[in-house]
Amino acid sequence: MSLLSVENLTIGLPSGGDRANAIENVTLQINPGEIVCVVGESGSGKSMTANATMGLLPPGLPVRSGRIMFEGIDLLTQSPEQLRRLRGARLAMIFQEPMTALNPLMRVGDQISEALRMHGDTSAATRVPELLAAVNLPDPKNLARAYPFRLSGGQRQRVMIAMALALEPSLLIADEPTTALDVTTQMQILRLIREIQTRRHTGVLFITHDFGVVAEIADRVAVMQHGRIVETGTAAEVLNNPQHPYTQALIAAVPRGIARATGPTQPGEPVLRMKGVVKTYRRGGGLFAKGTSFQAVHDADFVLHRGETLGIVGESGSGKSTLARCVVGLVTPERGEIKFNGSELRALSATAWKPFRRHIQMVFQDPYASLNPRRSVGDAIAEGPILHGTSRAKALDRARDLLRLVQLDAGAMDRFPHEFSGGQRQRIGLARALAMEPELLIADEPVSALDVSVQAQVLGLLADIRKRLGLTMLFITHDLRVAAEICDRVAVMQRGAIVEQGETGSVFNAPNHTYTQALLDSIPGRHWTPPESA
Amino acid sequence: MNFARRFCRHPGAVIGLVVLILVIAMALLAPILFPGSPWDMAGAPFEPPGEDGMLLGTDSLGRDVAAGIAYGARVSLLVGAVSTVVSLFIGVALGAIAGYLGGLVDDLVMRFTEFFQTIPSFVLAILLVAIFTPSISSIIAAIAVVSWPPVARVVRAEFMSLRSREFVQAAQVLGKRPLGIVLTDILPNALSPIIVLASLMTASAILLESSLSFLGLGDPNLMSWGFLIGSGRSVIRLAWWMSVFPGLAIFATVLALNLVGEGLSDALNPRLRKRGAKP
Repeated sequence: MSLLSVENLTIGLPSGGDRANAIENVTLQINPGEIVCVVGESGSGKSMTANATMGLLPPGLPVRSGRIMFEGIDLLTQSPEQLRRLRGARLAMIFQEPMTALNPLMRVGDQISEALRMHGDTSAATRVPELLAAVNLPDPKNLARAYPFRLSGGQRQRVMIAMALALEPSLLIADEPTTALDVTTQMQILRLIREIQTRRHTGVLFITHDFGVVAEIADRVAVMQHGRIVETGTAAEVLNNPQHPYTQALIAAVPRGIARATGPTQPGEPVLRMKGVVKTYRRGGGLFAKGTSFQAVHDADFVLHRGETLGIVGESGSGKSTLARCVVGLVTPERGEIKFNGSELRALSATAWKPFRRHIQMVFQDPYASLNPRRSVGDAIAEGPILHGTSRAKALDRARDLLRLVQLDAGAMDRFPHEFSGGQRQRIGLARALAMEPELLIADEPVSALDVSVQAQVLGLLADIRKRLGLTMLFITHDLRVAAEICDRVAVMQRGAIVEQGETGSVFNAPNHTYTQALLDSIPGRHWTPPESA
Repeated sequence: MNFARRFCRHPGAVIGLVVLILVIAMALLAPILFPGSPWDMAGAPFEPPGEDGMLLGTDSLGRDVAAGIAYGARVSLLVGAVSTVVSLFIGVALGAIAGYLGGLVDDLVMRFTEFFQTIPSFVLAILLVAIFTPSISSIIAAIAVVSWPPVARVVRAEFMSLRSREFVQAAQVLGKRPLGIVLTDILPNALSPIIVLASLMTASAILLESSLSFLGLGDPNLMSWGFLIGSGRSVIRLAWWMSVFPGLAIFATVLALNLVGEGLSDALNPRLRKRGAKP
């Protein structure tokens, strides 16, 4: 008998939504000791399925039909009190955001023992250190007395897992548990879930959007689109021989992680040269106390040649975004040289910077925050050229051309950013940067907030435009697969320093630095090569 | 459109708006409704409401209370509106400078703001009006001077969060001047809390003006609600109508402004709409 069996579950949306039902006729089985991945893009209803199982549906969403059978009982007909007994003890959940899933005012040990006491287990004092040790946290005794803010994201996620596993549930629901984590941490957490699951024979319902993660962890896979399951099968079947066109499209959009042939073989003259740049951030301190300081960037020398794309790769906090912001003057480093075509950019006044603004432009990470919500798309794109003395009519004409270049309709001119999807907004951001006809384009994680199929489109567009306009590009990313896709050379950053740089192919195939090696080993699904689809 | 529909979802806000429009109409139509000066005798003194053609009675000198309220509305609304505009001007400017520039400038501006916040505002207003002799302009100036600090604080907080947004950085990268960024990128996005605050400030300015004229610090040439209550105070047992009707006028106007402010707040911030409004 299967552990969890979701049968023909349909959950409605309030009228006026973009579709009638959040999920429709979802049928899903999980056996003991099995990891089932539910994959889909944002809005596909995958989290809704998990929340329904856990009894965490937001109010106002009616269950139209179906059953959720767990160990022989229908979860949908249980009273709140009956559900409470089951939750935590028999089924447990880990959430996406470890930063907000723990109570910040409670020691982590107390939070775990609370979960135990809630279900009548009185052995908390001995069990808590055991549990923390079981999720491979160092020094469990002391760690139990720490408050959540002292722990890193990965450590918090481990605490969440320890809490979820405290009562040895038979079903664990994991809703994108590694999405907010760095790639090396993600790999550790995935291994941990795998290991604990094998040891305790737990069934796992694992929600993710990343096929790499699926390849890493799944026994069986269900692919969701618009609230329906379009394909199910064993991991090997779905990954290597997808049947449904949507699954095929999703898998085709996964960046390969294989370095493509490098672009310009003859490096042009240097466009940008960074030498000895140091940026220090100070925190705290006041009249009497000295604050702490932290070097966000040091030892990050590189040269960018005309027409090439240099990828800066690193985990969060490695200083890669600070480095990019130094180049465009949003951040002023204390020391070092930033030479653009031979002119020093560091410590220029705003007026002296202005002529360079034409030549250096930036595309930002968050498509929802990088456009002024109160300005029409046409105005946003035309604004830069107008500031630099182009006539309004001419700038608007050019904006129309640019929208076409980034594959948007010219009718978008008079509309406002909130009317567009994330991928479309990112194209508008790109058009805004291109309106200045820059020589050097800095792209700060331009695709990390996008779904994988949209990500592939935007990357394709970037590569195409770069070739057509002969742009030089500095591409910041945390995702090595993306870097491999688009960069001629990569520089790997760790704690503010570039530890390795070289041709993409040689760095990926023969990394010299141990950190690069660790990053490459942590790419989820590295052993899986997506099938070449038609 | 959308905004109007969201506003209309609040029955209270709609009632407030109607009351406010009535008060404004009364102020505008005062010379037509009550020709002649409100300071002139219109009938016998101590006439109760409804007698001798006096809708709301007469005061101890035989002046028409209804005419006084209608003319008083002009003063109250004028003082409320102008002093709010002036204090918005001061508050937005200082808040924007502090929030956008940050650092030492922020510290200086905020300490300056706190200096005003530590002095009880009503006492400061009395002091200012007493020093500069009571007149409509000194009253407006005094109210503006005591009521800008909350504006500066709200604007500063909005600017601090907006200035680190990526669209502001994008404008910087385009080479836009700071003043342009403040006026066209940040300020329009910070407008909704400012509008809400303005409606509430108008209400408290009207209260402040009434309190000042109640104490005899109003403009001696202009009839105002606070003055009516102040002059009727000594005979409140004999002639309740002299104090009660102007009091009701203040009450209704201030309540209306507060209701409108709350409606605006919910209509401008659709995400916070939950409380109070029916779906």
